[in-house]
Amino acid sequence: MAYLLGKYVDFLTQRVTFYKSRTSLYADFEVEHLKDIDDAANRKIELRIAKNARLYATADYEASDKKEVFEGTSKLEIAAYQKKLRMRYRIEREKARRAIAKLAEEDKSGEQIKLIDQNLASFEASLAEELEAYKAKRHIAFEKSLERDLSKAKPTAQELEALKSRLTADNETYTAAVNAKREAKRAKFVRSNKARIAKLEGKLNNFQAKLKVQLERIQQDSYALPEGVILRAENLCMFFGGVKAVNDLTFDVKQGEIFGLIGPNGAGKTTVFNCITQFNKPTSGHLYLRNRLDEVVNLNKLAVHNVILQGIVRTFQNLEVVKEVSVLDNLLIAAHRQYQSNFFIHMLHLPILRLEEKVIRARADKVLAFMGLSLYRDWYAWGLPYGVLKKIEIARTLMADPHLIILDEPAAGLNDSETVELANLIRRIRDEYKCTILLVEHDMGLVMDVCDNILAISFGKKLAQGSAKEIQSNKDVQAAYLGAPEEVER
Amino acid sequence: MNNRFKNEYLAHTSPRPESGWKAHAKRIMSNPLGQFGLLGLLLAITQLLNIAGIVPRSIMTTIAFVSIYSIAAIGFCLLLGYSGLASLGTAGFMGLGIYLCHYGLQEWQISILPAFLIAGIASIVIGFVVGFVSLRIEGIYLAIMTLALSEIIVKLLKTIKGSTLIIRGVNLNFFGIPLSNNAVYFTIIVVLVMLLVGTANLINSPTGRAMVAMKSSVAAAQAMGISLLKYRLLAFIISTLFAGIAGFFYHAYLPGISPTTATILTLSMSLNILGAVIIGGAKSLWGTLVGTFVIYGFQSIFLQNIAFFNENPAFMMMVTGVLIILVVMFYPGGFAQMLFTFRLWLKKMTKKWRIYRYGIEE
Repeated sequence: MAYLLGKYVDFLTQRVTFYKSRTSLYADFEVEHLKDIDDAANRKIELRIAKNARLYATADYEASDKKEVFEGTSKLEIAAYQKKLRMRYRIEREKARRAIAKLAEEDKSGEQIKLIDQNLASFEASLAEELEAYKAKRHIAFEKSLERDLSKAKPTAQELEALKSRLTADNETYTAAVNAKREAKRAKFVRSNKARIAKLEGKLNNFQAKLKVQLERIQQDSYALPEGVILRAENLCMFFGGVKAVNDLTFDVKQGEIFGLIGPNGAGKTTVFNCITQFNKPTSGHLYLRNRLDEVVNLNKLAVHNVILQGIVRTFQNLEVVKEVSVLDNLLIAAHRQYQSNFFIHMLHLPILRLEEKVIRARADKVLAFMGLSLYRDWYAWGLPYGVLKKIEIARTLMADPHLIILDEPAAGLNDSETVELANLIRRIRDEYKCTILLVEHDMGLVMDVCDNILAISFGKKLAQGSAKEIQSNKDVQAAYLGAPEEVER
Repeated sequence: MNNRFKNEYLAHTSPRPESGWKAHAKRIMSNPLGQFGLLGLLLAITQLLNIAGIVPRSIMTTIAFVSIYSIAAIGFCLLLGYSGLASLGTAGFMGLGIYLCHYGLQEWQISILPAFLIAGIASIVIGFVVGFVSLRIEGIYLAIMTLALSEIIVKLLKTIKGSTLIIRGVNLNFFGIPLSNNAVYFTIIVVLVMLLVGTANLINSPTGRAMVAMKSSVAAAQAMGISLLKYRLLAFIISTLFAGIAGFFYHAYLPGISPTTATILTLSMSLNILGAVIIGGAKSLWGTLVGTFVIYGFQSIFLQNIAFFNENPAFMMMVTGVLIILVVMFYPGGFAQMLFTFRLWLKKMTKKWRIYRYGIEE
């Protein structure tokens, strides 16, 4: 019975998240769709204006001074003709060059070469003549057309003015009509979208109420985390056979701080991260997280792929970028859990998927712009420079709606100026995305610069915790990094 | 008024906005429905030409079988190229489709649609069970595991009925309307196009991206919230389902099969499909289609018309073999990569040719 109740609660939770994301999806979609409506209307107006301009230009051609127009267009036409002639000349020149190269050894006197040069020069002259002939022919044709046109009536300045005012009026009325339609469309969409969101919210509230009732029935006594603490590790142990990678580690991470984890090689830093993201299930000990909804979650109970739902996103020490897809697709992979559509919708590409894609792609573009990766948007990740791949990994964490970002050696392989840039970036991420950042790093400059709170560990055990200054002056930490003073003396 | 000068004037003062049938065609051909729909149309037209007496019967039969094998191959392409799982169980699942077709149509005498649905559902169920059992392991071990399970299925099927499977013409009907061989061919084309479009859509959707992520980096996929078992199972079930469908239509198109001698129920079938996907380019649907054609259609459509090969059929296999070896040697990415390289080469050659003809611009 308890099992069934648990399943029911899971189902309700799933429904609640589903409707929540759908609601926010439609709210985001409104912006995108309104933009689309605007674009379509603007394009329509543009087309009409271009068409009217063309109409006017036709009439204007007949009215305006033909000679002027003729000279204007002639320049371009003659330039095109000249280009053609130039290509012909280049072919001849190439032939001559090859012939000269062939003759260079046999022909000592150089008479034949001279002859070829002469031929080439005469050919160039003939081309120049041809161009002149073309110009003259064009001119004669134009004179003829002018004569023919003079016999016909041409629109007067008044008529032209009338036409112009008529076309301008048409432009204005058309623009007004399109704008009115656009407004109607926008209003209709906003209304229907509001109705849809209201409906979804109704369902959401319904499920939330049901969930609340069930949760009260179960009466989970959740762990009480102190106010302001986002993550707590309690007596965390991780043993690999006899190796004690993490041994009885206890620490708190406060909301909104940048928390650094340092230690010599093999101290178990990455293992701590693997435990938090459940890549390794801890041997013993507890991990508690306060998520976005202010609920306290026991991370050990979650599967690896469900950790991201609580807002924990990580990067990897050795880059794990998906290299056979584009940079944008990498971000979309990170947003995988934000798609609520199922397999059949994906197979048929139903409108709801297109809607989701649109919203999430727009968000990905924003993240790319934030990270300064817009240039690489459609590039394959294969063969991109190391620094860019690192940035893609961080962009991926931002894409997943982060609450707690875990960075595993973000500065490894970066040069000094890039490291400084990274420090600024980490602060910017913390401020803009309102999230907590947990990082492992060997670059002490970066750690001391950026971290509010540092935890030093060695062989899986806690050495010291505190601000950068406290850590620097701590004897144990110095001993772990530089060796104990007695050893040095000996 | 002289048109020539007027047109020149207009071209320079107010250019016409871009539109027309070219832009339209480009838009249609950019989505999978347009591309594969065109392919289906071409295949259907070939059949119509055959009915009109222009295309010989033998070519039609080859095309039909290539289409049937393509169905299995695209499922396998999704499994191998996009999810990175190697399976050698295609023959077993195709055999399942064949037997379900036989039992549905001949023994139980139901119409083709419910028989098809039964075969599909059974394939999904068997795929789920086999996948659930074998997807805990990866790589070559998975291939061996699926091979063993497929052999078990084939052995079981042969034990159930070892004599020749024959569907009588009356039993092949759509709710009473008897289906001719041509009608079955058209059905195959429709199903092929539908599955191709579905697969192409899937590849360009979150599911396809999740599969690629899973293939490329297991850790990243898990960290991004992709459940490995779910998507592996999904890919496996799709490939099983497609193989089952291929088997179903194989028997519907070829009403008489002898299970003891048919190559379709042996390991060579699975290996051929694997080969088709690999030489076609594991990450390309068009490549897979070309690969299937090279393996199954190349011999009987092109080589058989040459007198030498007609007299010595053994050499035909050799030519195909050499072709496959050459492709895999020089283009590990298959025909898809070959096409890509060819395009780059063409660009390079055009540039070279221009320099040869016109010389270097000063």
